[in-house]
Amino acid sequence: MKGKTWLFGTSESVGKTKGKTQRLPRSQKTKEVQKTHQLSYELKIKEAMSKKVLTLKPNRTMMDVRKVLKDHRFTGIPIVESGRLVGIVSIEDLINCLRAGSMETRVKDIMTTKVVTLFSDEPLIHAINKFGSYGFGRFPVLDRDSKKLIGIITKQDIIRCLLSTLQSLYHARESKKGNRYQAARLFADLPSDWTTMILKYHVKGGDFGKAGEKSDQLKGNLLKLGYSDEQIRRLIISALEAEMNLVIFTSGGDMIAQIEPGKITVKVIDNGPGIPDIELAMQPGYSTAPDFVRELGFGAGMGLPNIKNCTDEMKLESRLGKGTNLEFSVYA
Amino acid sequence: MKLKELVKSLNLKVLVGMDLLDRDVTGGYASDMLSDVLANSDKGYVWVTMQIHPNVPAVASTKDLSGIIIVNGRKPEAQTLTKAEEKKVPILLSQRSTYQVVGRLYELGIR
Amino acid sequence: MKIKQIMKILEAEAIGAQHDNRDIKTGCGSDLMSDVLVFTRPGSVLLTGLTSRQVIYTASTAGVEAICFVRGKTPPKETVELAKEKKIALMTTNFPMFESCGRLYNKGLIGCSEPAGVSEK
Repeated sequence: MKGKTWLFGTSESVGKTKGKTQRLPRSQKTKEVQKTHQLSYELKIKEAMSKKVLTLKPNRTMMDVRKVLKDHRFTGIPIVESGRLVGIVSIEDLINCLRAGSMETRVKDIMTTKVVTLFSDEPLIHAINKFGSYGFGRFPVLDRDSKKLIGIITKQDIIRCLLSTLQSLYHARESKKGNRYQAARLFADLPSDWTTMILKYHVKGGDFGKAGEKSDQLKGNLLKLGYSDEQIRRLIISALEAEMNLVIFTSGGDMIAQIEPGKITVKVIDNGPGIPDIELAMQPGYSTAPDFVRELGFGAGMGLPNIKNCTDEMKLESRLGKGTNLEFSVYA
Repeated sequence: MKLKELVKSLNLKVLVGMDLLDRDVTGGYASDMLSDVLANSDKGYVWVTMQIHPNVPAVASTKDLSGIIIVNGRKPEAQTLTKAEEKKVPILLSQRSTYQVVGRLYELGIR
Repeated sequence: MKIKQIMKILEAEAIGAQHDNRDIKTGCGSDLMSDVLVFTRPGSVLLTGLTSRQVIYTASTAGVEAICFVRGKTPPKETVELAKEKKIALMTTNFPMFESCGRLYNKGLIGCSEPAGVSEK
């Protein structure tokens, strides 16, 4: 019988949608936003605030206020006596004094004494909320026990703190991966017109004791390369079915996995006996497996149909007496 | 319980044996291994299986089973249907899995 | 449903390491490996009479968390060891497949209905 090539395109399998370029799925974006939100509950104000606070004593004049605000581009300054926060003077107060010409006014006579503050042990989310509720640019931070002014916090401080925490978390996670390489990084680090990695496995025919081992090894290797379980599940299902076919029907063959950016292909090659009728073999339920194999749980006739359904591309060629070439791939 | 009641309750499609549905169902057996069915099933049982080759109705006939429910929407081979007609073995089809079909049968009181 | 609940419902005996507190989401009964590969979902319990190592490889690929051998079948040492390596909980029940599926279904454990990699037809 003449050898035939059968090409199974992506239009028949659900893999088409999975073949699209990897855009960050919505659930991933939500996860990142949620993580930041979660952090704002976990981090404390004392971790974000500036500990160096510029303050003025109550007996200073508005002239001193003008100098500080001008030099440092602040919009307000806390007024402190013996370490205790007694009031706050804002740029608005300064403008009023400038207009009235009363720059000699003592700070203590003009300052707002009811100051909106935060405690250093409060979570960041409280600061975020307060920034939302009030129009202020900064809040003085007090120590809960001594009520002393120990810092000041701005919106910038919050953003900086969140970013640096996210970054250290990312690094911690990356270093924990240990001997996990990143396939993507490997390909990116070795620029060429085409970079690929090949893993070859030999499967012995009739060796039911070891059947399943090679696709399991392939799975382990792909996981080490940084692929996720979900990404390679369909491929490993197909590799397992292909491995079983080699064991059941042939005297042995090779499974060759080719890994490249965006796609993993597995070629399964054997030297016999060949498939007499490919169309029949692709029919779900059709099986030429000997009866003893059914007792082992195989021979349901679902192997090739499963591979077709699970993969994004599949090609099957066979010649009676010569052998079979099966090739399938998933986008990952 | 009659086979036709099962057909109705489980929404099964009758592939073979429209005229044989008046049979009594005495119990159920779920297995995809013929040797197991030969050894452990009993007369009048309804057999739940995924297997669709011609040996299936042959075994069912040998053991005098009331009928076969094929699961996962699997289409039996033409030879299987012919054999079933010959041996007067009803073949019913369900889109659901073994687990789900057995679960429903169990709920109906079949043991 | 927790594994320890399943063991109670099936009057099953644990084999090897215990994983009582794992949560199982679906149930699947089969003696055919291709069936398991396609129709089982991660987080399920597989009911089967097969005890070979392939069952473990298949279960691991399919994401099965626990296997219950029916009809009193017990697996050989190699299977138990492989299951331990793959962190799959093993147990055995004397009930046949029919009774086992029936009991679990009755107590609310749903079945896996959607095959992997195939869109709903």
